[in-house]
Amino acid sequence: MDFLVTIATGFIGLFQAGADTFVSLVTGIVPLLIILLTAVNALIAWIGPERINGVGKWAARDGLVYYPIRYVVFPFLSVFFLTNPMAYTMGQFLPEKYKPAFYDAAVSYVHPPLGIFPHINPGELFVWLGIATGIQKLGLPIVPLAVRYLLIGLVVIFIRGIVTERITMWMWPRENEDTAVTA
Amino acid sequence: MHTINTWLMQFGRAVGGIVGVLYQAGRDSVDQVIVNILPFMAFIALIIGIIVKTGIGKIIAAAVAPLAGSLIGLIIISFIAALPILSPLLGPGAVVAQVVGTILGTTLIASGKISARYALPALFAIDAQVGCDFIPVGLALGEAEQQTVEIGVPAVLYSRVITGPIAVILAYLASFGLYPGY
Repeated sequence: MDFLVTIATGFIGLFQAGADTFVSLVTGIVPLLIILLTAVNALIAWIGPERINGVGKWAARDGLVYYPIRYVVFPFLSVFFLTNPMAYTMGQFLPEKYKPAFYDAAVSYVHPPLGIFPHINPGELFVWLGIATGIQKLGLPIVPLAVRYLLIGLVVIFIRGIVTERITMWMWPRENEDTAVTA
Repeated sequence: MHTINTWLMQFGRAVGGIVGVLYQAGRDSVDQVIVNILPFMAFIALIIGIIVKTGIGKIIAAAVAPLAGSLIGLIIISFIAALPILSPLLGPGAVVAQVVGTILGTTLIASGKISARYALPALFAIDAQVGCDFIPVGLALGEAEQQTVEIGVPAVLYSRVITGPIAVILAYLASFGLYPGY
């Protein structure tokens, strides 16, 4: 009988540990999250997401100067205002050859801002929060990490946009030759 | 009198508009929390509970610590996650990235087995596959033509093999001075 009780205590203890974690997540994160989401949702409603369409026409232009707009500013604004997954619809403003690189840049930016702008992808919050929880347990502030994650993310999507655009360009004419030969 | 009435009406409408937007924003945010966030918190809390209580965490920590606690190890993780065969499989819902991140955070970083400054490169290492499962849909949302999708899918997948490790190196360089003393 004692043996059964020991097993049962261990069994319940397993879930009690989970429940304690759940309570600390809900009381520690959810209130701030709800207020932050409310503020950003209202802000987006007031500004109106359709305003970034103009940036899209700008981002579509050729030329080196427009690279940072196409792969930093435009993905950032798309992700911020339209969030995951509607941000990718902004690719419609770009020529076909830039669409894969834009998608790569935009999709790579749905996690880096999560520490400060969780509205972008609330369903995938733990990509950020899992590691941030560890930092918190050490008694360290997580905001410095959140800010660097957000900023380095911008550099990363810029590089990703350029590299993917290069690779797309590489494959583009070859693919056309193939179809020309078979035709 | 008439002008005051018009003014009052306009004022009332403006206030009503602001309150309406804020209220709707509040409703949306509570919806998001209930639909997207709370279920995942329950899932993660269960995993953390099991990992912490059963001691699996210590085994995983011992196995992964050498890999996740060095720049080379993190580059290897990002490279593996970005392999064009694996990346589309690891992508969906970012579940893999979220679970791996939680394990790294709650076991290795929290216990100090990995230095806190590795948190930044680790965030990029576990996420090299982000969106690789979604490329055709993402491109379709951008109204891409069939040919663009055919080229775009491999282009993004190949690009990740290069940019995944680059992201980790950049994050590593940017992590200097993040948590001095850790």
